[in-house]
Amino acid sequence: MSGKPKTERTTVAAGRRELKEIIDTCDAISERRFNPFFLDVELGIETLRKYYPKWESFNDHCLDAHTLNRLSEVVRLQNTQLKFQSSTLYSDPEFLTHKLERMSEKRLAEVFLQSWHPIAELEQLTDETVNDSLTYWNALLPINERWLRKPQQESTKPNSADSNTLKDLGISSEEFDDHLIELWNELHKLFESTQRPVDYWQFVRKTNYNETVQRAYHVSFLITYGYAKLLGEPEKLLLIPFDHPTGKAAAGVSFPIAITR
Amino acid sequence: MIKMETDKSRHAQTFYSDKLKRAMHLLIFKRGKLPGTREWELREKIGKNFEQVLEQLNQLLSELDLEIKKAADQTPSEMAPGENRSTEQTRYLITLKGTLGLKEAKLIGWRIDNLAGLGAAIAYLLSKQGKAPRAEVEKLLGMKYGHWKALTLVDTFLRSGYIEEDDAGVLALGWRTRSEIDLRALMTKLAEVKS
Repeated sequence: MSGKPKTERTTVAAGRRELKEIIDTCDAISERRFNPFFLDVELGIETLRKYYPKWESFNDHCLDAHTLNRLSEVVRLQNTQLKFQSSTLYSDPEFLTHKLERMSEKRLAEVFLQSWHPIAELEQLTDETVNDSLTYWNALLPINERWLRKPQQESTKPNSADSNTLKDLGISSEEFDDHLIELWNELHKLFESTQRPVDYWQFVRKTNYNETVQRAYHVSFLITYGYAKLLGEPEKLLLIPFDHPTGKAAAGVSFPIAITR
Repeated sequence: MIKMETDKSRHAQTFYSDKLKRAMHLLIFKRGKLPGTREWELREKIGKNFEQVLEQLNQLLSELDLEIKKAADQTPSEMAPGENRSTEQTRYLITLKGTLGLKEAKLIGWRIDNLAGLGAAIAYLLSKQGKAPRAEVEKLLGMKYGHWKALTLVDTFLRSGYIEEDDAGVLALGWRTRSEIDLRALMTKLAEVKS
């Protein structure tokens, strides 16, 4: 049993009820059920002022803050309505409804068409996308098989390669240096003949995929060792050979280039 | 020397036409849910000078009665105070520059009553500052088409993106209305009509 007099408890309860009514009205205005000017915001503020000294619990203060927040939203809507009414888009809803009722469908459609600029867009498949999709579909295993866990196998441990293995792979010995010089000379000749940077893909791309990858691999060394410079233009990659190798990497950044088959 | 300059200009021309083609493909082919392409995507795929490329493309398209339009995914009233329209929200679309006649509109699959209903719904929403309860719009359409047809029409307009509905059942102008319809022209024409 609270120690407060009964009249005070009644006042607090009445205050809560009034604030909830204000919130409901504000919500209805936000949902466009009432005109924003339907609510007397000043009266709402007066009500808040009247009950503010009587609030004691945390929930009452939250209710007070929430009411203030909803009232400020109504003020914002009133402001928007005033701006809208002063714009050329304004038309009285009642008047417009009567006009729409009286207009024939055809006339209304004609008026609408005069302000309608439909979007142009195309939806289509290309041969390439169909081919890619078919390849994907054919390679796709049934879901049961895809979900099967592969048995774990122990991978082979890293091993050291001797010079013969590296030589067989073409990544070691004098042959590698010779190949670099050969590629550098080729790049030089191309550069001198056109007097403009050489397109990376024109230089690297060959009919054979393996050869393309090998040339790209060697070109990466030409750039790293300072035999040539790579320019990343927005549209293409360009190569410029140096007359004399600088002997050090031109820049300390990696530039990944994907090679498609 | 002259030969070199000619080569250079030809090179620049093809480079530029490549960008035009790429911009056209991005704008016209449907790739996502919504048509057109976002600003950041154009910047990424075409480069910093994408606006110049679009301007050039717009000149070419205008001869075909088409134009490139910049549209926002959000209306200014939906944006929070102080929020700037970022490139995330800006979308570029290709729209018809002129307008269609009734026969043409029928040819592209629109019925007269649907067009009239859409016009009425948009005009009504506009008169209510862009938002109104769904029941009010249905009532307006129901006066001409009957209750069931009105319900179907509102659903159709919602699906096609001309209007949007929130959780409280309040209808608002959709992204497609903002992109395709000259609202000022619509209200002016409606005001001019002698009923």
